[in-house]
Amino acid sequence: MKKRVVQEAMVGYLFAAPIIISICIFTLYPILSAFIYSFTDFNPLEIKKFDIKFNPQEALEINTGFLPSELTEKESSIDFDLMNFIELDVGLKLDEEKSVLVQKYFDSVRLLKDFSDGKLDKEIAIKDFMGTYMTKYGDQFRKYKPKFLWFDNFVELLKDQYFWISLGNAFFFSLIVVPIQTLLAVILAVAANSKIKGVKFYKAVFFIPSITSSAAISMIFWMIYSKPGVINRLFGTSIDWLNEPNTALPAIMLMNIWTTAGYFMVTFLAGLQDIPDSIYEAAEIDGASGLTTFWKITMPLLRPQILFVAITGTIGCMQVFDQIYFLIKNIRNITISFFIYKNAFEYGKMGYASAVALVLFLIILAITAVQRKYIKDEY
Amino acid sequence: MRRVILVLSIIFIVSLAFCAPVKLTMSGWPGNPDEEAAITAGVEAFNAKHSEIQLVWEPIPGDYFSTLKTRLSGGTGPDIFYVDVFVFEELATNNSMLALDTYIKKDGFKLSDYYTSLVEAFQYRNRTYGIAKDFSTLALYFNKSIFDKCGVAYPTNDETWDSLLVKLQELKKKGVEYPIIVNPELTRMIPFINSFGGSVVDSNMKVSLSQPNSKKGFQFYIDLVTKYKVGYESSAAGAGWEGEAFGKENAAVIMSGPWCLGFLKGSYPNVYNKMGIVEMPKNVKKSTMVYTVCWAINRQSSNKDAAWEAMKFLVTEGQQIFVEKAGVLGSNKNIAAKDTDPVKQVFYKGADYATPWKIATPTGLFSKANDQINSRIKDLFYNKITLDEALKQINENYDSWIK
Repeated sequence: MKKRVVQEAMVGYLFAAPIIISICIFTLYPILSAFIYSFTDFNPLEIKKFDIKFNPQEALEINTGFLPSELTEKESSIDFDLMNFIELDVGLKLDEEKSVLVQKYFDSVRLLKDFSDGKLDKEIAIKDFMGTYMTKYGDQFRKYKPKFLWFDNFVELLKDQYFWISLGNAFFFSLIVVPIQTLLAVILAVAANSKIKGVKFYKAVFFIPSITSSAAISMIFWMIYSKPGVINRLFGTSIDWLNEPNTALPAIMLMNIWTTAGYFMVTFLAGLQDIPDSIYEAAEIDGASGLTTFWKITMPLLRPQILFVAITGTIGCMQVFDQIYFLIKNIRNITISFFIYKNAFEYGKMGYASAVALVLFLIILAITAVQRKYIKDEY
Repeated sequence: MRRVILVLSIIFIVSLAFCAPVKLTMSGWPGNPDEEAAITAGVEAFNAKHSEIQLVWEPIPGDYFSTLKTRLSGGTGPDIFYVDVFVFEELATNNSMLALDTYIKKDGFKLSDYYTSLVEAFQYRNRTYGIAKDFSTLALYFNKSIFDKCGVAYPTNDETWDSLLVKLQELKKKGVEYPIIVNPELTRMIPFINSFGGSVVDSNMKVSLSQPNSKKGFQFYIDLVTKYKVGYESSAAGAGWEGEAFGKENAAVIMSGPWCLGFLKGSYPNVYNKMGIVEMPKNVKKSTMVYTVCWAINRQSSNKDAAWEAMKFLVTEGQQIFVEKAGVLGSNKNIAAKDTDPVKQVFYKGADYATPWKIATPTGLFSKANDQINSRIKDLFYNKITLDEALKQINENYDSWIK
């Protein structure tokens, strides 16, 4: 009997294996790596540094300015700068610790002898080369290991002015966008749920922004917000909305609300279907006005959906990236996820970026926990 | 019978694999249609000459440098790639590029044929890692018909910043809304700083923007926007960049490079026909920027010799094709001498006194400092801070920005 249960479970896992394996490789492993990198000075450009192949003879020729045949006669006068050779001609970036090891344990005499014997004229990977000529600790030069910094990255980000600015921007963004987009989505849903003519058309119109590519939307809004654009013509103002540091972020917020409200409307529409008509009928008989019905019946009964939308909305807002990437030029107005991107891919500080990402993760986790606590999910 | 076919096809495939030419990938950012056509023509010319090597152009659209770095990290980088002088040191300190000195020596390749400032721009600790593909300098474009309409004299090659300012103010008085386009970017401000006798960093790689001369140039640049109200960002003039603002005839004067020529000729031919281009104005001395990109070989490439062969072609015969077809400026002096296109001469002249767009730092990193300084310039344009405050912030934080 027990054997059958085990067998059944095995079959079950076998069927689920593709998704389990792909989640492990593409989700869990990167998350874990990012967590580990956040405590290091990880530099992706160095991952392959020990695997690069080079020709030691050519490297030595260029370093010393001699050919191997010339060396035997002039051996005494050779000008061989070991550190210069390793760093520039072998092309191995060394940290302080490894520089000391190379200075102490690298066998230059043997290398120069092999050079004059003409033994070096073939491509070799840096790790094999170092393994051969280091008298000790050759194993230190096999694989790139980022330096472990403990909490240095976290201390640094506390002192980084732009970490605070971008985090503040993300909070400001969420604080304004989440309530408005939620309320707007409810109103749109109620409107779309009513039995007026052409309601399908309106539903489509409300939903289209959320399925349009955000690059396309950004381009349209870039034109709308530009100085000779529609908004300035409509209101007779002359503000460069996306460039003026004070208006750039609110401009993006408005656009974000417009694009996401339709998406969340669908969630509320589903919720509205679940509210029995009998409750509305009872309210009508009791003489409740439309507005009272909305606040006293619709909103409370939509609570599970409101919780869901508030949480996913907050997560989305804290991580808003694409629209900022397309439209914001000034780093004063960027949000935290763009700050992470900049550090990781533009400034080459992957470890620091991972640390910021970890902090962002903890912040979102905390906000979600608080939301779950105060908007009780009774269903 | 079936077995014979199988054996034959295996032999065919194997022999194909052995005889197949070495495939080299070459990447850069995609250019405008003219540039793409020129690159394709160059690649075809190379492949026609070398049956043993097959060069393939694979441009990387979007954020080129980030993508390139990611590919290099993953070991899937192209064999030959563009490196902008601005990020050259970052790649050099990480040993991503192959030092070319051995090849240069072996082949007797003449680096002296190239403009010295462009050769030095791609050297790091006495090793050469790249050869300039081409270069661009900044010059002053002006719209003759706007100047005529307002009765203001044209700018000349001996213009000073002060005399230009007078002309711009006159234009403004006559109702030109956007006399000159300025960008809130350090790279565009450097000609001002240098022409006033200042510099961004001193010889010890310490930031020197608050030196009296540097500050004067900085102040002048900001004053164009805030005090004299003649300078505007291109977005204010309803354009994505200065060339567009100029093409739409919203702006009377812009400071731009030769990349603008092809764009104006293609999109705004009537403006192209009534524009004038002069050298950048001066204060105590002439100054302009030189932007340049080099070809570099991937250190991880498994076909280094072939890559060098291709590179040699790209900077000689290939460059000839690019200069003729894409309208770029030749970094090879022999090719530059043959380029007699009159509109390009003013840009070649700038090469004599231009500063490469590259700020020396001890770590080779400058992108973060650049973003930070640009943000201050933007704040200054909008009067959010004063110049002294901005300089104080820059001085205090500069060292942490280049770490």
